[in-house]
Amino acid sequence: MSTQDQAPYVASCPECDVDLQTDAPNEIIEFHRRHYRVTGHEAEFEYAQLDLDEDVTSDGLKDVVWQLQEQYENGVPIGVVAAVMSDRGLSIGETLDEIHEVRMTGGLYEPQDDHLGAF
Amino acid sequence: MTQWDDSQAKAVSEDITEKSNALPARYFTDDDVFEMEKDKVFGQYWVYAGHANCIKESGQYFTRTIGDRQLIVVRGHDGEVKAFDNVCAHRGSKMVEDTPMTDPGDAKRIKCPYHLWTYDLDGELKSTPKSFEEAGLNPDLEDEDVQKFDAEENALNDVHVDTIGPLIFVNLSEDPMPLAEQAGVMKDRLEALPLGEYEHATRIVSEVECNWKVFASNYSECDHCQANHQDWIKGISLNESELEVNDYHWVLHYTHAEDVEDEMRIHDEHEAQFHYFWPNFTVNMYGTADGYGTYIIDPIDTNRFQLIADYYFRDSELSEEEREFVRTSRQLQEEDFELVERQWEGLRTGALAQAQLGPNEHTVHRFHQLAQEAYDS
Ligand code: FES
Ligand SMILES: [Fe+2]
Repeated sequence: MSTQDQAPYVASCPECDVDLQTDAPNEIIEFHRRHYRVTGHEAEFEYAQLDLDEDVTSDGLKDVVWQLQEQYENGVPIGVVAAVMSDRGLSIGETLDEIHEVRMTGGLYEPQDDHLGAF
Repeated sequence: MTQWDDSQAKAVSEDITEKSNALPARYFTDDDVFEMEKDKVFGQYWVYAGHANCIKESGQYFTRTIGDRQLIVVRGHDGEVKAFDNVCAHRGSKMVEDTPMTDPGDAKRIKCPYHLWTYDLDGELKSTPKSFEEAGLNPDLEDEDVQKFDAEENALNDVHVDTIGPLIFVNLSEDPMPLAEQAGVMKDRLEALPLGEYEHATRIVSEVECNWKVFASNYSECDHCQANHQDWIKGISLNESELEVNDYHWVLHYTHAEDVEDEMRIHDEHEAQFHYFWPNFTVNMYGTADGYGTYIIDPIDTNRFQLIADYYFRDSELSEEEREFVRTSRQLQEEDFELVERQWEGLRTGALAQAQLGPNEHTVHRFHQLAQEAYDS
C-alpha cells in the first residue's frame, strides 16, 4: 500500500501485515469486518487521532457513548467508540461484541447504521 | 492512437494483431459498471469458492460472498459438496454467520435462528417447530387444517457447484455453461497434478485501493517485472518465457534461469506457471517451492478489492523455508499493490479514456475482451 502522511485512523492485522489508513473511523470497522470474514483474523488500531471537543472521562462503553453523543449530530460513529475503547484496552472485536450486548439490553441504539446513541 | 476523449473510445479490438484497444477506462471507474458486473460477470461465470480440503468431513461448511449473494458451501452426508444461498426459505433470514474456509464450521443440519426451520445438508426442509404445525394462536384454523410444508418445495435455493481437483467453483446463473467448457485445457492440466495432496497452510488478505480489473490486468503481464520485481526477476529468463492464451484462461510460463531441483516443485516443467482463470481466480505454481498458491481478486466496490492469497504445502504447518517463501510472495504482492494503486490514481482522474496494449499484453487484451463480451451480453 502506498505510503502517505499519517492518516488520523490506522488499523492493521498483526497476522497478515495489511493495514488501512483513513480519515473515516467507520472505515476501520468495515475493514475489521471484511478482514475477519475472510480470514478469521482481528484487525487492531495502530493509531487513532481522536479530534474531540472534550476528553472522555468515563470507562464503561455505555457511558462513553453517552458522553460522546453531545459532540455528534446523529449518533457516534462506532469507529470512534472503538478507538476510545481501544485506549481502555478493548480490542475492536471486543468492543463490537460489547456494543451488541448492550444494545440487546436496550442501553444503546443506532440512530443510523453503525452510529450509536445511548439512553 | 491513445484516446484522451471518451467520444473517441472504441470497443476492445477483436484481434490484437490489428488494433490494440484496451477496455475503455470508464468500465474501470463507473459505479454503474460495478453493479452490472455483479450480474453479468459474477452472476454468469464459474467463480472460485474455496478448497475442498478445508471441508473434508460431511457437515463442514464455509461461506462465500459473491456480488450480493451469500453462499453456504457444505459437504453433504453423501460426501458431495453443495452450495446454497444463505437465506431461509421461510421468511428470508440470513442463517449462518460468515465463516471463512480457513476456519470452517461444522453442522449436522442447517438451522435458521429466526423461527428454527431446519434443513438437512441436501437443503431439504427437515423440521419446523410445533408452532408451524398447530394453529394455537389462530382462531380461524383447526389444527388439522394447518398446511404441511413440503420438504422439497421448501428447500434451500441451491447453486451449481463443480470442481477442478480439490478446487470448488460455483455458478450463480440458472443455466451455466459447463465448468469443463469454461476451464478448457486448464482443467486437465490442473487435474493431472496432485493438488489434493497439499494442505492449506496460510491465508493473507490485503485490501487494495484500485478496481479489481486493474490488478487482474497487472497479474496477466510481465512487461512490468524488469523494472518492478528486481529480486524475483533475477531467477527468471524472461526471453524464454511464454504467455499462452486460451478461451477463458491464460497461463504465464516463466522459465528459470538455472535449473531448479525437481523435488522443489509440484509439477515437472522447469518453470513457474501462473494460471489466470476468468473472472477473478489464479493458480500460482512457483518453480521454487513444493506447493502452490491461489489468489482470489475479490471486488469490494468500484475503487477497492481484496486480494485473498492462499498457500498450500505438504503439511499445514509452515516450515521455516516455506515461511520465507510466503514472505517473498508477499513482497511481490506489495510491489504490485504499489503499481496498481498508482495506476488507479491516474486512471480515476478520467484523463485517459482508453489505453492501448503492447504486443506482450495479449493476455491483458484477452481479459479486457472477456469483460467487454460479458458487458455486451
Ligand atoms: S425466517 Fe428462517 S425460520 Fe423463519
Ligand atoms: Fe489478517
